[in-house]
Order: sequence, then structure tokens, then C-alpha cells
Amino acid sequence: MLRRHRGRLVLSYTLLSIWQVCEALVPVAIGLIIDRAIAPGDLTAFVVGAIALTVLMGVLSLSYRFGARLGFGAVQREQHALRLEIFDHVLDPDGARTGLLAGETVSVATGDALAVSTVVRQLGYAVSALVATAASAIYLLWLDVALGLLVLVGVPLIVAASQLLSPVIARRFGAEQAAVAGASGMATDLIQGMRPLKGVGAERVAAERYRRSSRSAERAALRTVRGWGALSAATTGLSGLLLAAVALLAGSRALSGELSLGEFVAIVGLTQFLAEPVSQLGWLGADAARSYASARRIADVLATPRLVGEGGNAPEPPYALELDHVSAGPLRDLVLKAAPGDLVGVVVDDPAASDAMVSVLTGERVPDSGAALLGGTPVSSLGTRERRSVLLVAAHRVDLFDGSVRFNVDPHGRHDDDALTRILTASAAEDLVTAHPDGLERRVRASGSLSGGQRQRIAFARALAHDTPVLLLQDPTSAVDSVTEEAIARGLRATRHGSAPRTTVVITSSPSLLAQADHVVLVLDGRTVATGPHTQLLERADYVEAVLR
Amino acid sequence: MTSPRRGGAATRHLLPVADRADTARLAWSLLRRRRLPLTAAAAGFALAGLLGLAAPWVLGDLVDVIRNGGEVTDVVRAAVVVAGAAVLGGAASGLAIIGLGHAAVPALARLREDVVARALELDPEHVEEAGAGDLLARVNDDVRSVTQSLDEALPITIESAVAIGFTTVGLAALDWRLGFAGLCAMPFYVMGLRWYLPRSAPRYAEERVAQSERAEALLSGLHGSRTLREIGYERAWAGHVADRSQRAMSVSIGVFGMLTRFFGRTNRAELVGLLLVLGTSFVLVRSGQVTVGAATTAALFFHRLFNPIGGLLLTFDQVQAAGASLARLAGLARLAPAPTADVAPSTTLPGLRLEAIRHRYPDGDDVLHDVDLRVEPGERVALVGATGAGKSTLALIAAGHLAPTSGSRALGGTAYEELGSDGVRARAALVTQQVHVFAGTLRDNLSLAAPDADDDRLRDALTRTGDSGWVDALEDGLDTAVGGDGHALTPSQAQQVALARVVLADRPVVVLDEATAEAGSSGARLLDRAADVALAGRTALVVAHRLSQAAAADRIVVLDRGKVAEEGTHAELLARAGTYATLWASWSQS
Repeated sequence: MLRRHRGRLVLSYTLLSIWQVCEALVPVAIGLIIDRAIAPGDLTAFVVGAIALTVLMGVLSLSYRFGARLGFGAVQREQHALRLEIFDHVLDPDGARTGLLAGETVSVATGDALAVSTVVRQLGYAVSALVATAASAIYLLWLDVALGLLVLVGVPLIVAASQLLSPVIARRFGAEQAAVAGASGMATDLIQGMRPLKGVGAERVAAERYRRSSRSAERAALRTVRGWGALSAATTGLSGLLLAAVALLAGSRALSGELSLGEFVAIVGLTQFLAEPVSQLGWLGADAARSYASARRIADVLATPRLVGEGGNAPEPPYALELDHVSAGPLRDLVLKAAPGDLVGVVVDDPAASDAMVSVLTGERVPDSGAALLGGTPVSSLGTRERRSVLLVAAHRVDLFDGSVRFNVDPHGRHDDDALTRILTASAAEDLVTAHPDGLERRVRASGSLSGGQRQRIAFARALAHDTPVLLLQDPTSAVDSVTEEAIARGLRATRHGSAPRTTVVITSSPSLLAQADHVVLVLDGRTVATGPHTQLLERADYVEAVLR
Repeated sequence: MTSPRRGGAATRHLLPVADRADTARLAWSLLRRRRLPLTAAAAGFALAGLLGLAAPWVLGDLVDVIRNGGEVTDVVRAAVVVAGAAVLGGAASGLAIIGLGHAAVPALARLREDVVARALELDPEHVEEAGAGDLLARVNDDVRSVTQSLDEALPITIESAVAIGFTTVGLAALDWRLGFAGLCAMPFYVMGLRWYLPRSAPRYAEERVAQSERAEALLSGLHGSRTLREIGYERAWAGHVADRSQRAMSVSIGVFGMLTRFFGRTNRAELVGLLLVLGTSFVLVRSGQVTVGAATTAALFFHRLFNPIGGLLLTFDQVQAAGASLARLAGLARLAPAPTADVAPSTTLPGLRLEAIRHRYPDGDDVLHDVDLRVEPGERVALVGATGAGKSTLALIAAGHLAPTSGSRALGGTAYEELGSDGVRARAALVTQQVHVFAGTLRDNLSLAAPDADDDRLRDALTRTGDSGWVDALEDGLDTAVGGDGHALTPSQAQQVALARVVLADRPVVVLDEATAEAGSSGARLLDRAADVALAGRTALVVAHRLSQAAAADRIVVLDRGKVAEEGTHAELLARAGTYATLWASWSQS
């Protein structure tokens, strides 16, 4: 992490060190001015001292400005880089099994990335504090060996003593962060489920649940606060004690004339000043521990396995789709064949079996036995990119994104307006754009703003626009009325099975869609029990039972 | 999802943000209840500030002792005072931080609880219009920002302010002219702030907007990650999120650059103050009005202020950001809580009556025109119509979740306005298309609707709404974590849980909006049966997606472009050979 920004950081740390040394020189300058100018009442010495002080403050100010800016820039770049790693991981073609709520992932990508990258900046302040302490110690050693040793030993002792508290604070802070994240995750979840909550009048119950979670975060926060309090008491008290010891030693040396008055003032001022960099160093442990806790959370997210296993093969044309005696969870010895160009309907009585088919075809689930074959190659051995360029699996759940209708249907921008209009018409969704002043540019929001049926038709249009050689549709018309369903069924036939036929498998129990299919596979209890044209299967009682009327 | 049609051009009604006075009032009303820790904090800060003056004062005296050739015992005495002040001052500062935490942390917890409670009472239509991201940013980022400033910035701010106050008084106590010299630095600090504040405030606002856009982009990418991967757009979306992150980054860097320029102005003020104090000392010492020791104390006093002032200004932006977050939280918390009406449920089954209902969305979409609808006690009425006919809107209006533009509504003969929204919700349950499995156990998901129900009742509700064998198959039964990162329920299981909630909520009136649609058609049939159970013995309005649902209803109302086109039993409507008969033919052909 530090290496990533080496040049920037070296410059930043150097400038910050200059800044801190200048800060240390200010009390020395004050001591000199009092000793050489104020005590003897020497005007020329005072003017020289004032000019020197002005120059010192100028250097101090500029070195801080640019040093801090460089450090902050590095923090921001690092944070951004960490975020990109997280984005890339969770939005990988093969997916990521993070097991986190979406809100929690966002919190890792923002809060934790910030906590981790801040360490770059904290380190800069620590380095400069260390340099200033060392410079002061050298000056003190030069003035008086015993005094120098007192500061050289005293300062690290104070830091070490306050470090004892750091792990405790870090642990408590970690627990607090986790509790706060838990409460935030719950709030996000409840707000996303607002409508169902309100439907059964459960707002108050939900608020009460959040209250309990918030109280546990509150208890964790109070434990952290007590830790901070103890740390503050320790650092303030200890650095004051050191000041007392230095005053005792320097005072007696000054009394005996071994130190000048100005040197005494400089020493006292320096020790007083040193309290700041020293407590900076004291906080460093706690800060580092906090960053460490966050770093571990980020590392955990980045280490989560992929949804889809490794596989680099590409399917070979012609692209037939075949489930060859597949057993996977609710699927038992399922047999299904879609020859190139076929439109195959699949009637599945058990929704779990339908979901299992979908995850077997996306490669997220490897069959216990048998194989899903795309162009004769097992799907589990295909690379995700290679698989999806041939087979698009349009699952039942509809995801839309903030953007125009055009963007949602054709995100890659492959079609012109005419083609898009044709696709929308085939999806019975042309009313969405023709009846709207913005047409294809009509805004769509990720959630809300459109009805379930409208959303489903846009998702259907997207599947058509994608135009892959093989398409699997899962219940594409469950939220549209029967008239629209009929139109969509004809649109599907016309678009994908016209002059240059593609292969389509549609899991549905809609008679309209099934009537368009070349043949229908009836899957009951995870097993293929019958195959044939819709009209022929209608003679079977179990088929009629499964196809909802 | 279930929300009816909404045009894109609607003006966004944003969620409220409190102004400064209201925010302060709210913060004070939350803190007021914690007198003891607050008093401890005030005493601690005051004591720590006072004791902080001891060291420079004593050391200045020591300078005079040294110049006048004092005794070693004077030096020892001074060192003891410094040591004692340090120990006591440390304890006082620890006490102050702990006291402040014990006052502010619980206050913040109450605040965020109020915010979430009010947020959940908001109208979902309103939230979706304002952007759910804004609401989520408030309950997450703003809470975090305020928490962080409580942990770190606030103690520093108060400690510094107290130190500055005491030191100014200390300077004046040495000699009023020294105090005056110190005060002369003030305008320079003020000038710095006046340069910085008006410039930084909009930049901070810009930063927050950029950050919430970043969060929103990431959130919707995560929710839709499966689709993004399938259509090969996941890298592009990651790039889109990265762009947002990049933008947030450059805004932040810009803001920080401004902050460092502000610190440069602070340094200028420090220099001016220090030179004035030293110069005044020079003059006063030369004329013999103060001792060199007093001049030393004065210089040490002023130099001692560098860190507190720096600290104060350093935390200023954090406190300012936390203040903005607090205002956003306060804006929600200050919304009036939904009135708790007298919700004694009626003993007899009420009928539902809607008269002359018209509805128009803010963007001008006229959805309903003069709809009259009656559901007799215990009757089941199905709403049928093509997409866009206004079924969902009418369902929301009937369930009391949306106020119509005009028209009257009554339950059991009492107007909705009289019942209040609590009264209506105590009588009517609504199941929408949006199926949400809450993160938590299966029991948590069910008991939302009936917090006092025991396991038997929860299981019974599941059994009545279908096969509950899958619950027993789960490793931990009702204690199985579902939703979020828990066990994924199938859409039909999730829908079954939603219907079981209706059974548990046990409202006399149920409005069902295409409840079986989201399960996918393969599960719809089972859920039709489940819905039968959930609706049994209740007054029910069903938005019928499957015509089988309509055929099973006592009466059917056909909506066409916001108007009632036909009304009657299944048999009557078939005999009329109108819209419904056509729909039925299309549905049952093949």
C-alpha cells in the first residue's frame, strides 16, 4: 500500500517533518528572544528575533500545506484504489459469494476503506512527530546530557505506557464498528422492505427491533468512550509528569548557572511542545489497530470465493442446449434437449426445481450427476464470458438500473432506434416509450417508478436485444396480463424463430407461450415425465394440472 | 415494483432537512435528559482547562526565581505543582471525555432510533420519489459521521475552546495589556474563518452528494449483480461505480486543499499574536512594569494555544460535516410521529366502500376516473384489467396506503379520515408484489405481523398457507437465518411467508395485489390455494392477475383505463360477452 504511492509519500513525510521541526524551533526562538532581547531590553536584537520568527513561521506554514496535501492525496488515491478492488471483486464476471448484505458491502467499501487508507496519513504525522522528538532530543543532549537523556527515555516510556491501552481500545472499537454496521444493515433492510412492512402494519414492531439493535451498538460505543477517556487521562498526565521532571532538572541547572535563562525557557517550551507529537505517537497504536480491523474486513471480502467455478472452455457451434440426466438438489435425472433453432417450453411444478435449472445453466451449481451441455460442452467447464456470449440466462427476478429505457434494454448500445422499437414491440412494451414524451430516453429507476409488469417487459426486451444464440427465460410473463402475454409469446416467436432461428428455452406455465413452443417438456417432482407438443400434452391430466388456467 | 405507473418528469420531493435552530433545539432536547454525565463533562473540561494554566504560570515564576537567584526548594515546589496539575488535569480530561460520551452516545442512539421509526412511517411513494438512496445515506452515512465526530472531534473541540478561553483570561491576569495583545490576534483567526467557511460549505455539500451517488451506484450494482453478469455489463458497471468514486475523490482533494490554505491563514494569525505578545512584553519589561518571568509566562501561554486552536480548526470541518449530517437526521426525526389512533378492531366484519374515486399522480397521469367500488362484509371481489388500467393504484387507495386525489372511502361505515391511518391499518392488510425477506430468522419474518405469537401459531400460519415441510427440513427450523446473507428462500416460499404474515396479522379486510405473480407461474397455483386460506372469512379485494383468481371470487370488477367497465359474477360476465368474456377466452384458449 505504501509502495503504491512511494514518491508522493517520501516528499509528504519530509515536508511534514520539516513542519514539525519548525514547530519545535518556535519555543527555542521564544527563549532566545526573551533571553537576548526582552531581558536586556535590546531593540536591535528584538527586531532580528522578530524577523527570524517570521521566517520560521513561513517555512512551517508552507511545509505543512504541501506536505499535508500530498499525504491527503495519497490517502484519497489509496482509498479509491481499495474501493476499485472491492468493486472489481464483487462485480466480477464470475460473481462473488460475499455473504454480505448489500448495505454491508457498501459500508466496507466506504467506511473500512477510509479507515485503512487513513493509516498512510497517520504514519506521516507519526514520522514527523518522531523526527521532531529526535531533533529536540539532540538539541537537549547538546545543552545538557542528563536533560537530553531524561527526554529521550521519558518520551518513549510515555508512548509505551499509552500503547498498553491501545489494544483494548482497538478491540472495543472493532466491536463498536461491528455493532453499528449491524444496526445500519438492519435499517437498510427494513427500509427496503417498507411496503411489505406497512402491508401488515408492522412499522412499529420493526422500529422496535431496530431500537434493540441500536441499543447494543450504544453499549459498545460507551465501552469505547471509556477507553478513549482513560487514554486521554494517561497521555495528558504522563506528559505533564515529564514536564515536571524536566522543569526540576533544568531549573536547578539554571539556578547553578549551568544553563542560561533563554535555554531554560527553550527547554521548558520544548517539553511543553513535545506533549503534542508524543501523544500523536500514543494515538498511533489505536489508529493502527482500528485500520487493521478494517483491513481485515476488506481482506475477508476480497478473499470470498467466486459464485462460478473456474473453467476456460468455449462452447462450439452448433449450439444445442441439453440437460443430460442432471441431478442437482430438487432435480432428479432431468432430461431436456433443445436442438439449434428450437423453441422449447418447460413446465416445472416445483419452483425450487426451476431455480436449480437456472443455477445449473449459469454454472453456479455443478450437477451432482449428469451434465448440462451447451454445444456439447459441459457448462461447468465453460468460462463465464464464453458461456454468456452464447447462452443468456434471464432469471425470473427483474433487475433494472437507474438510466433510460434505452440503457436498460440495450446497455451496450448495439441497436439503432428502429431495431429497439421492433424489440420493444415484440415485448409488448412499446407503450412505455410511445406514450411518453422522452420516448426511448424515458428515465427508469432501479426500484419503484414502474409497475411489476412494466419492469418485466423491459427485462424481456433486454433478453431479446441481447440476441444470444441460446436464451433461457424463467417465467418471463408472470406479472403481465393474459392479453399482453399472448402478444409477448408471438413476439418471441417472430423475433427469435423467424428467418435465422435461434434456440430458446422458456420455463413457464403460460398456455400462450407453451402454444408457441415447438415442443414442451413436463417436469414433475424434478423429473422429466413427458415431452411433446403443447396440444398433445394437453391430453394428459397431470399436464393440465400443472399448466395453470 | 408494485407501485403503479409513474412518469419520469415528476418533480422530486426531497426528504426534509432541519435548519440550524431546529437542529440545535433537537440536540439539546436529547442531551437535556442526561444531566449527570453532562455536568461531569462540563466540570471535567473546566478543571482540565484551569489546571492547564498551572504549568506556564509556575514556570514563568521560576524564571524570576532564577534571575533573582532563589533556592532549590523553589524549583522543587514548582516541579511538584506542575506534576500535581498534570495528574489532576489528566484525570479531569478523562472524566470530561467519558462524561461527554455518556451524554452524547445515548442521545445519538435515541436520535437514530427516532429517525428509523419516522423513516418507516414515511409514505413509500414519497421515499421512492426522493430516492431511497437519500434515506439510506441518512440512516448509514450520517449516523456514522455524527458518531465519529462524537468519538473524536467533539472532545477536542470542547477541550480546545475551554483552553483558549482560560488562557485569554490568564494573559489578562498577568497584565491587561498582554491580554489585549493576545486578543489582537483574534481578528486574524476570524478573517481566516470568514474566508474559509463560505467557500467550504458548498464544497462539503458537493462532497456529500458525490459520496451518496457513489453509494447508490454501488448498491444498485450489487442488487442487480446477477443480471449485470448475465448481460456482460458487470465490468462496465464497476467502471461506472469507479467513475463515481473518482469524482468523489477529486471533490474531497479539492476540499482538503482549501483546508490547508485555511491553516496557512491560521499560522499567520499565530505569528501576529506571538509577535504582539512578545513586543508588548518587550516594552513593558523595558519600562519595568512586568517582570521577565511574567513575559515568559505570557509567551508560554500564547504558544500553548497553538495546539488547541489548531485542534479546534482541524476538527472544525469534521464538526461542520457532522452538523450537516445532524441536520439531515433531525429533519427526519422532527417529522411528527404517526398519531396512535384508537385502534380497537371492530368485532363485526366491515364492508369496504369507495365512492367517486379519482386519482392523478403528480406528473399529471390521470389513473382513476370516478370509480365506485363496494365490497360487502365477507365478500371477495376481484379486480381485473389490462396493465395500466389502474388496478394497483386502486388497491393502494383501498388499503389506505395512498390518498386519492378526490373521492370518499369508508370501512364498516366509518370514513378513512375518521379512522386515521392507524385505524385503517389495524383493519386492513395489504400484500404487494414486492416480496421482501427480512434479514433475520424465519421467526423474525413471521412475527413482524404478530409480535406476541408463539411458535405454534407461527407454524400453524405456515401450514395453513401451504406445505410447511420445508421449514422442518431447514437445519434450525424457525430459527434459520433467512434474507440477506442467510438461507435463500425460493420466491414461492418467500411469498408463502408473506401470506402467512397476513394470516398472523389477522385483519378483517385484506387487499391482495397480484400476490401470486412474483412466485413465477410454476408456484402460482400453490399460492392461489394459500391465498384462499389467507382470505377465508375476511372482506377481500384481490387484484387478479390470473383469471383463475377472478373466477374464484364472489364478484368481479373489470377496470378499463381507470373506469369500471363491467361488474358481476364470473357467470354473469361470461354471459354478457364483454371485455371479461374476451379476456377469459384468450386465457382459456389453447
